Formats: sequence, structure tokens, C-alpha cells
Amino acid sequence: MSKKIFIATILILAIALIMTGCPKKTVMKEEPSVKKEEAAAAAKADAESKATESKAKEDFEKSMVAKKTPGIEGEVFESSLLKDVHFDFDKYDIRPADATILKANADLLKKYHKVKIQIEGHCDERGTVEYNLALGERRANSARNYLVSIGVSPERVSTISYGKERPLDPAHNEEAWTKNRRAHTIITSK
Amino acid sequence: MLKYFFILLSFLIFVSPAESRVYLDINAPTFVQIPIVLAKWKSLEKTPPSFTEKVYEILANDLTLSGFFKVIDVPRLPGSLRETEGIPNTSSLQEWMRAGGEILLAGETLFEPDGLNFKLKFHLFDLVEQRHIAGKQYEGPLPALRSAVHRMADEVVLQITGEKGVTNTKIAYAVAQGTGKEIFIADFDGANVKQITKNQSINLSPAWSPDGKKIAFTSYLKRNPDLYLVDTDGKNLKLFSRYPGLNVSPSWSPDGKKIALMMGMQGKSDIFLIDTDGGNPTRLTKSHGNEASPTWSPDGERIAFVSDRSGAPQIYIMARDGSSVRRLTFEGSYNTNPSWSPKGDRIAFCGRAEGRFQIFTIGTDGSGLRRMTSDSGSNESPSWSPDGRYIAFSSTRAGASKIFIMNANGFNQRALTSSKGGESSPAWSRRFE
Repeated sequence: MSKKIFIATILILAIALIMTGCPKKTVMKEEPSVKKEEAAAAAKADAESKATESKAKEDFEKSMVAKKTPGIEGEVFESSLLKDVHFDFDKYDIRPADATILKANADLLKKYHKVKIQIEGHCDERGTVEYNLALGERRANSARNYLVSIGVSPERVSTISYGKERPLDPAHNEEAWTKNRRAHTIITSK
Repeated sequence: MLKYFFILLSFLIFVSPAESRVYLDINAPTFVQIPIVLAKWKSLEKTPPSFTEKVYEILANDLTLSGFFKVIDVPRLPGSLRETEGIPNTSSLQEWMRAGGEILLAGETLFEPDGLNFKLKFHLFDLVEQRHIAGKQYEGPLPALRSAVHRMADEVVLQITGEKGVTNTKIAYAVAQGTGKEIFIADFDGANVKQITKNQSINLSPAWSPDGKKIAFTSYLKRNPDLYLVDTDGKNLKLFSRYPGLNVSPSWSPDGKKIALMMGMQGKSDIFLIDTDGGNPTRLTKSHGNEASPTWSPDGERIAFVSDRSGAPQIYIMARDGSSVRRLTFEGSYNTNPSWSPKGDRIAFCGRAEGRFQIFTIGTDGSGLRRMTSDSGSNESPSWSPDGRYIAFSSTRAGASKIFIMNANGFNQRALTSSKGGESSPAWSRRFE
């Protein structure tokens, strides 16, 4: 984190110097050696930052797995870097530990402005089809509202409720139910 | 199949002049099944015995499934029932009492292998009072046979209980297939199972239009739970409500002009009304809770629904404009899936008791809560028959979820079909005739 801040600071300074410095040739003449060093460092930092960013972008893109579902139109992508959040039985509020997960998802989305996502609300098998569809709708919207509250543009996030129709684990026990009460993120557009 | 109903003829031959009587009060919370003797049927002229046996089999099954009768098979002909000017001779009904029944049903068939039309005739007798109750004749083309026998069974139910049976009704439901669910339809007796959708998507919550011609259901075809309409033969699929978010759990108003449904336009599920072309969505519920599963009162004035505004899902009733909301259920912490009886007096619902989901009914004033199921499985999604005397529901009592039917007092619970399961969300049609 501190390394990133350092690089970013250098970058900002370099840009500031370039912008303010360039037209004023006299200033540049006064401290030529310092300027050269700083410019070199800035260029290096810039290149490193770009490399890091492009690697991360590559990693994110690499992590995207295309997914087509029979009977549901369109191709979407799933990324292991966008993590699920989970819910208590019959609840749709974001638990504090899951807020951290959503923050990480939001950080990733802020880096890649083009990416659009859909949050799927899922439920465990207990209870009725219709009430679980309502609950899934609420869970998807809880996750969406949280992302929007920390700066993700609302236009980039759609929601869908699958109720109890698409369990991650089809088993009929507590362990499966815990896994199945979730908000899952898919990528609808890269 | 429908077109045959118009050429299917039936006429009353004779009804006893004695006052019509109700042998069985099926509205009582408990009733004892009436023992009915089903004598062997007579094959007239060149009628193949296999034809007559088929008629007998469908009829015996219908009467058993009605839940009102204990059917006693007697494999001999009622030789003494010679008709004199259309009125059966009842002088030797005595011997039939030994079979242990109170009612005798006898009949004959006429169908020549090279013919196109059949004739069926039945007579019903009161063995205790040694009198003729009623008789009817039916005729029609061969493809209408099953329907004609059902009408006969409905007539027998009418004579004994004072109200016609529901054998000419159908049940729509969802069946799990692959990663999705498809919509199916079956007859009341589990015959004629037909698959209506074949799109591999998630197809949910079928609902019949009041005229019985269309089914509304939700499908994820366009990656959103949208509402579709389809004919009962699977043709003319039409997308008609695709607002963002939920468009699920449709319930047609009794006059067929509006559909109540769950919609997610507010970021949570609310009860809305829309026109049958999908237009004019009007929000009825105004709470902060999740609202689900609307069901109309038979007079079209009120809507029962689920809301968790109190913290847990409970059944509520409101006027059709969303006003006059009141809570109906107070017992238990998870009550969902209301279904308003066509008789108007009771609402069936799915409630959690001792960790399992069971079917209950309750008066619309909140009195008279009754539990209908008590097995170890999960029982959900009750739907009333059009006469309000049966409830279809889904149950996992035998493993995989299957559609079950029971009498409205909870008796006579049986699986609809012999399928391997994966069935949910039954919806009962009107009578087809």
C-alpha cells in the first residue's frame, strides 16, 4: 500500500512539474540535473504503474470465464476475483465481514470502468418459490445499494433474483444452505 | 379435444321423483366415505369387452379419487335391472345389499368396433331404501370417451353430494428438468400429462386464465423473470410483462381483466396490478416489507398476499385498490403461499410448524385454523379445485417433490401422477365442459 502511495506521489509530482515546468524554460535551466532525475524516476514509476495496472487488468480478464446458460439468453462472464457475499436465513442485510468483500469488488470495478455487472440474489431451498424470489430480489439489491453507496455507478450494476431456483450446492443440509444464501456477481459486459 | 364437447350429447333419462337428497355432507370437517357397489357393466351388441372394461376402470378410478366413496368392485352383472319403459326394475335390489354397499351403480356400453360413436348409460340406486336415484345416457365420438366417463362420474358425485364433481379439470405445474423447470398440465386423474414449455429455461408459477384457455407463467428466457402467456397446447407464447426485476406469481382477477403479481420495480418485491396486455402497472402495497404471492377472492373485491412487514412472512388481506389492509395469520413465524377458496370462506396457505412446511386452512376472518398435512416432508403451494372441495399441493413426503391432491378436509391424500418427481407450484383449472 505504502509503495503504491509513494509511486502515486512521484507520479503526481512529475505530472505537476511537467505541466507547470514545461513552458517555463528558465526553471528547467536552473536545476537541470534534478529535473532529469525526477523525470526519469517519474517515467520509470509511470511505466511500472502501467505495467502493474495492465498486469492486473490482464489478471482480471484472464479470470473471466465465459458462461452460457441453456434457456437464458446472452453470454456472461464469471470472475473468481469478484467474490460472493452471504446472508443469514430469511435476511438480506449485508453482514460486516461481507462489506469488506463488496469493498474489494468495488475497488476492482472502479479500475475497470467499462465492466458492467449483474448481481444475482440466491436463497436456500427452505420456504416457498415465490417468497424466496422476493428475498433474492432484496439480497441482490442490498449488495447493489452497498456498491453504489461506496461509489460504483448505479448504471453499471443490474440485479436479478433466482430465488431458490439455482442453488450452488444442491444438498439438503445446513452446510449447503449456508453456501446457497448468497449474492453472486457476474459480468454482463467487459 | 375441446371441439368434441360440442358434439358430445347427454340427456337425463330418469331422476327419482323423491326429493333430491344429500347423502354425504362433504363440507363437514370429517365425513365417512359412502360405500358404493360398482357392478360389472354390460356390453351391448358387438361392443368389445375391452371397451367396457376401460369405461369401468376410468369410472372406478374417478369415484375413488373423488374421496367421497369407498368403491366396492362386484364382477357380476345386475341381471335383475331390466328396464320397463326407461325405469329400471328395483324389485331385486335386496341381493345387492350383501355386497356391503349403500349405493349401487350399474351401466351398459354400446360401441361397435367399426363404428364412430359410443353410447354409455348408467343407473344409480339407493340400496337402503330400495329405490332408483338417477340415470343418464351419454353419447359421442370415440376421442370424447374419457371426457364422457368423467362427466358421468361428476353426475354420480352430484347425486350423492349435491354438487357436481371436478373430474373434467386440469392441473398445471412446474417440473424440474436439467438446470431448469418446464410447465406441464395433467388431468384431475393424472392422465394426459402434457409438456407445455420446452425451452430449457426456468419456468415458474403457472396460473390459469379464468376461461381456461391460457396459462400465465414466469420465465427467465431473456435473463430476467418476465411474465409470459401461452395457450394450453403450448402454442402462441407471448411475452407480456418485462419490467426490470421480478414479474412473478401471477393471479388472474375472476373477471379476467387484471393480473395481480409480484414486481420488483422498487428494488424489492411489491404486489402490483397490470392489465392483461401487460400495461398500466399499479402498485398496491406500500410497506417496507417484501410482498409476495397474491390471490384473489372469488368476488374479485379483495386480494390475500404474503408480507414480512412484521419481521416474518405472514398472510394479509387488502381491498383490490390496496386499501383496508389487515393481517390474517398470527400463529407461526413463516406463513406463505395463500390460495383463496372458490367458495370464498377459507384461505389455504403453507406454514412452518416444527421446522417443516405444512398446508393449513383458515377462515377469512382469521378464525378456524386447521392443519391439513402432518407428514415428515415439506408441503407447499396449495391450490383449490374450482368447487372448493379439493386442494392440490406439492409435497416431498416420498423424497422428490410431487403434486398431491387431497379433499379439503385433509383426507384422501394421493399423488397426482406416477412420475419420479421434481414437481412444484400446482394450479387448478376451471371445469372444462
